[in-house]
Amino acid sequence: MSERKAGPIMPRDRGAAPLDIVIGVMAFLAALALGASLLANRASDSWKLGLANRVTVQIMAPEKPDSVVSGEIDAALRVLRDTPGIAHAALISEKDTLALVKPWLGSDPVIAQLPLPRLIDAEIVPGAPVDVAALRARLKTASPDSILDDHSRWIGRLRAFARGISFAAYGILALIAIATAATVAFATRAGLDAHHEIVELLHQMGATSTFIARAFEWHYFMATMFAATVGAVFAAVLFILAGGLEFAGFEPTPFLPPLALKAAEICWFAGVPLVASLIALGTARVSVLAALRRIY
Amino acid sequence: MIRFENVGMRYGPGPEVLRDVTFTLEAGSYTFLTGPSGAGKTTLLKLMYLGEPPSRGLITLFEHDLATARRQQFPELRRRIGVVFQDFRLLNHLSAFDNVALPLRLAGRSPSGYQQDVEELLSWVGLGDRLDSRPATLSGGEQQRVAIARAVVARPDLLLADEPTGNVDPDMGQRLIRLFEELNKLGTTVLIATHDRGLISTPQAREMRLVDGRLVELRATRP
Repeated sequence: MSERKAGPIMPRDRGAAPLDIVIGVMAFLAALALGASLLANRASDSWKLGLANRVTVQIMAPEKPDSVVSGEIDAALRVLRDTPGIAHAALISEKDTLALVKPWLGSDPVIAQLPLPRLIDAEIVPGAPVDVAALRARLKTASPDSILDDHSRWIGRLRAFARGISFAAYGILALIAIATAATVAFATRAGLDAHHEIVELLHQMGATSTFIARAFEWHYFMATMFAATVGAVFAAVLFILAGGLEFAGFEPTPFLPPLALKAAEICWFAGVPLVASLIALGTARVSVLAALRRIY
Repeated sequence: MIRFENVGMRYGPGPEVLRDVTFTLEAGSYTFLTGPSGAGKTTLLKLMYLGEPPSRGLITLFEHDLATARRQQFPELRRRIGVVFQDFRLLNHLSAFDNVALPLRLAGRSPSGYQQDVEELLSWVGLGDRLDSRPATLSGGEQQRVAIARAVVARPDLLLADEPTGNVDPDMGQRLIRLFEELNKLGTTVLIATHDRGLISTPQAREMRLVDGRLVELRATRP
């Protein structure tokens, strides 16, 4: 005599495919929004890090002879190199300076005739406290035509922009999470309505409310887990493919961080089906217990 | 076992379908509830298996006054009652085996503990070769036998059967009645609602007769 396995108390819903699809799509969108917010955060961090550790010195004296300008450049380089906290400082060649303005002014030979400033790029040791005001004053003394730019205005604007993107991504994530929760709750209630005869029969046969609720909540937990996992996996695949495009030589948009998420970031996607399933479980439990309270 | 005192029942604002019903079912008794269709037999059974609260009157079940008993006690009381519903109420997604095993699962027994009992019982009602069949693939008579097996499998203290032989041939009907008699001999209080008084062949049986919602007779069939 072979040992039998008890059949499931709840039937597998044949008509539930559209609801599964809705849950899957909502989970997909939630995972996309989650990925976008992770990317926005990373962009914000990389922008801040990329600029916060650099200062640029401009020396602009078109009316002065080259020898004077060269002297000011050497003096400014000396001041920078003698300043504690500055990792290194280097003059940007005229060729590189022209390359910098090329996106805005083009590469016409006449551009080379323009009085362009000489630029010194200096890198600050990460975390080192550099007194920018004092450095600016020392540079002014040694090199009267120098202008120190610590990018603070630019960084401030970028920070505000990155913060805006982060908030927008979190807002979208919150909206999608609410919509997903409502969808899961709706699907669960619709399923319960379809199976009210089972609830009533089990109740009539002496099943406790806990027994019935457990059968239902487990059923909806698993169904939602499956549908939402499919949605989240699709989203993860999309981000992985986007990363693959970049590796294949596809040019990412300037200023935007790489679209590919790291493995650790993709792990966050596992939270989407988990949270959706817990919502389904909670809704099923509350709905079943409420339905049972209504019957004698 | 069961005591009804001046019990009345109406659904919503409609007329009373049961009026001033008073009777006592002793433990271990064997009773037929007869009466024409629409007399209130199913409603009376419903009150006995805690399917509805009465509109008025007192019901005492297993020494519990239902008006004052706590709701948390009801599942335990319900598990002591086996019910054969007139419309069977089988779970269509479960096999005949799993439908019959349901009361044992609710009692917390494991499949290995009840498998033999369930298979033997299904064989006894002539469905030994239909263990894995879904209700939709069974005939009306076969579904009725699954419903009866489900009602008796846990050897309830009280068995309530609503027209339990309505869909089976006379031979199977008598076989099922014998099953109820055997259960009664083991101590189960049995009440069978039927409009067919020809079924009353059991010597120790009593008959309660309902007409227009009133209990008009209560007597031993073979005094």
